[in-house]
Amino acid sequence: MIRRLLRSRGMVKFRRNRLALFASGVIGLYAAIFVAIIGMEIYDGIAQAVGGEAKFSLREGTRIRVLPRQTPGFLESQTPSERYNDIRWHHQRMERIFDRDLESMDDPWVQAFNELDLAERKLQRAELGEILARWEAFDETFLVLDDLYLRRDEALDLVGSIRDEIADLRGDLRGAEASEAEEIRGEIAALEEELAPEVEYLAEVEPEFFAQEEIARGALLELMPLPTGWEGVKYGFRTFLGSDVSGRSIACRAFYSIKVAFQIGFVVAGISVLIGTVLGAAGAFYAGWVDAIVMWLVTTLSSVPYLVLLVVLAYMFTGSTLFDNPREYPELQLVKLYTAMGLAFWIGTARVIRGEVMKIKELEYVQAATAIGFGRVYILLRHVVPNTAHIMFINFSLLFIGAIKSEVILSFLGLGVSGQPSWGTMISLAKDDLSNYFFWEIGSASFLLFVLVLAFNIVSDALQDAFDPRHVS
Amino acid sequence: MWAFILRKLLYNIPVYLSIIFLMMLALRVQNPVYAYLGKNPDQQQYDELSRQMGLDDSFPVQYVKFVGKVVTGDFSENSWAQRGRSVKDILVKSIPPSLSVTVPTLFTSVVVSVAIALLSAYYRGRPVDQTLMVLAVLGMSISYLVYIIFGQFFFAGLPAAEGAWTPFAIQGYEPWMPIGPQAEQARLINWVTYCLLPVIIGVVVAMGYDTRFYRAVMVEESSRDYIVTAAAKGASKRKIIFVHMLKNAMIPVITRVMSSLPFLITGSILIEMYFGIPGMGFQLISAITAKDFPVIQSYVALFAAIFILSVILTDVLYALVDPRVRLS
Repeated sequence: MIRRLLRSRGMVKFRRNRLALFASGVIGLYAAIFVAIIGMEIYDGIAQAVGGEAKFSLREGTRIRVLPRQTPGFLESQTPSERYNDIRWHHQRMERIFDRDLESMDDPWVQAFNELDLAERKLQRAELGEILARWEAFDETFLVLDDLYLRRDEALDLVGSIRDEIADLRGDLRGAEASEAEEIRGEIAALEEELAPEVEYLAEVEPEFFAQEEIARGALLELMPLPTGWEGVKYGFRTFLGSDVSGRSIACRAFYSIKVAFQIGFVVAGISVLIGTVLGAAGAFYAGWVDAIVMWLVTTLSSVPYLVLLVVLAYMFTGSTLFDNPREYPELQLVKLYTAMGLAFWIGTARVIRGEVMKIKELEYVQAATAIGFGRVYILLRHVVPNTAHIMFINFSLLFIGAIKSEVILSFLGLGVSGQPSWGTMISLAKDDLSNYFFWEIGSASFLLFVLVLAFNIVSDALQDAFDPRHVS
Repeated sequence: MWAFILRKLLYNIPVYLSIIFLMMLALRVQNPVYAYLGKNPDQQQYDELSRQMGLDDSFPVQYVKFVGKVVTGDFSENSWAQRGRSVKDILVKSIPPSLSVTVPTLFTSVVVSVAIALLSAYYRGRPVDQTLMVLAVLGMSISYLVYIIFGQFFFAGLPAAEGAWTPFAIQGYEPWMPIGPQAEQARLINWVTYCLLPVIIGVVVAMGYDTRFYRAVMVEESSRDYIVTAAAKGASKRKIIFVHMLKNAMIPVITRVMSSLPFLITGSILIEMYFGIPGMGFQLISAITAKDFPVIQSYVALFAAIFILSVILTDVLYALVDPRVRLS
């Protein structure tokens, strides 16, 4: 059936559409990532089932802390105070570990230092004495840096407030009388005199602060070097989009969401197209009571608003140990989404397929097949259903993207995915970061979603044009 | 005509009854009282709640009682989570906020999209048309969430944070009820401030889909014979499009508008949740989060009824608009 579809005239026409081919390539890329993630998870699952250790633990990777909170991704350079905050964050974490009595422990770094690791970026393992020496060096440079930071901050504040005052006075000057103007000019001059030494002081402190920051960063790198080689590549991937509000890798979460989205898309579109085709084709082909049942199902289910269906199912499953236990069974937690969308989405497909089969069953080749003496089921499966393949194909692509979009919105409302990252949960978490002007999380999630939806829109348009030119979308 | 409506109604009664049956069953899969009170509730409280909702009766009895309540419109039981409010009160009070967002949205989006679609069809194949359609595809590929979140941030949140003037409120809703001449003035303006941004976002979201659909309708209509006749007769292109085509193209437009009628009442859940507008969708989602069983059950029954009635209404109006649709 699929081979016939690929060789059909519509497909040839589709292949001539360059933009659609490019969009298919993009979808292929997403699909490849999806397959890779699923493959790694299955590998891990098998490894754990036979008693080995998980090699990839991707879902774990979306949960661990890799950076300070809300670190921006590539391209965006941090301001000096953000860089300082980074160093201070590392210092605070280490202080907690190094303040313990490490020497009395049996195996100090295994127990204590594991807590410091940020994914691939690990504490440089060496003799305990050497590590402690490095820590002390870092601690010392940091204290100097801290002091410089405070001085710089104070100076910046002072300069800022004096400048504000001057600006205010200049504003007063514009509307002032000649006598008052003299007075205000005097005040301005006094303030400017006050400002000059502060600016000088700031000019002195600032380069010192920058230099000290470099030194502190160097000391930190001695202690916790950036990973190199393959580990470095992995670490680079983890950090290139920055980190969210709890320091987790945005890149890992955004790309892992592809798996969740595709999983929902495939299952929902698959179920809906399958049920819709079977019921729609059977109803139209056999007519009589079969058709009556199918049509009754269609009208009943289409009288329930999709959202109400979902709400009822969500309520039904809450508190269930199997289907509402995202910590332990994140996959089963999706069942309510599959059910609600499956029940709602098959109706459209069934209607279209039913109409098409009604048309096809009157055609000459079906009559010929009947005349030859083929059975009804054989004719339906061999001659009728394959000729609706293009409709199934178009519907699949429409439902696939429809399911992904619904998933995002439902997760945002708290009715959808939980226990694993998805674009909806990411956007829902990130909406509070906007007031800090932090756009990386919401940006990466919605960009990946946007590209996928755009590619699907282009492809389904092209499919519709190629197979059904008279169709009004 | 009346026979048609009556037949439709009669046909849908068993459909509605079976929907209520299934929904009530599904809502009772887990004990609603346990869901609300937790695993180990106070016995007295438990008895009180289940007696109030009649949950200690057998299912058929509950079913008959509830259908009776739906038929007589008697939703007088108290909500569990919102103390002291009856379900009817919650239901009735949540309709005006929903309508004050959805009605302007629907009206504006239809007018704007039809205008753009006409423009696009008029310049069919030319750069104007191509640009508009590329924009429509791009627009409909952006998630609803992104429109809402960024719209609120850039047009309400950011100006408010920086002290700049903005006509939009960040969040919330105020009903518009005339109490005295001056209060009316102030309240109307407040109401507009709260509803303006949600309406604009709703229109922008709807525009991508609507424009493409209406353009396709116009393009299909423009290849009909009567258009060729009009052109042969010597009518100008402008006259053909605005006089001959627009009238005939209104049938699919009206169908599409009517098919979105049920959503007028149910409201746009996402917009209501994000902007804190206490409409139907907002109340439903809040009830789900609070496990407020009486509210959930009544809302489900009501939503299904509204949905069925509007489908019937669509059929009837469609038959009125398009004389080719036979009523028998």
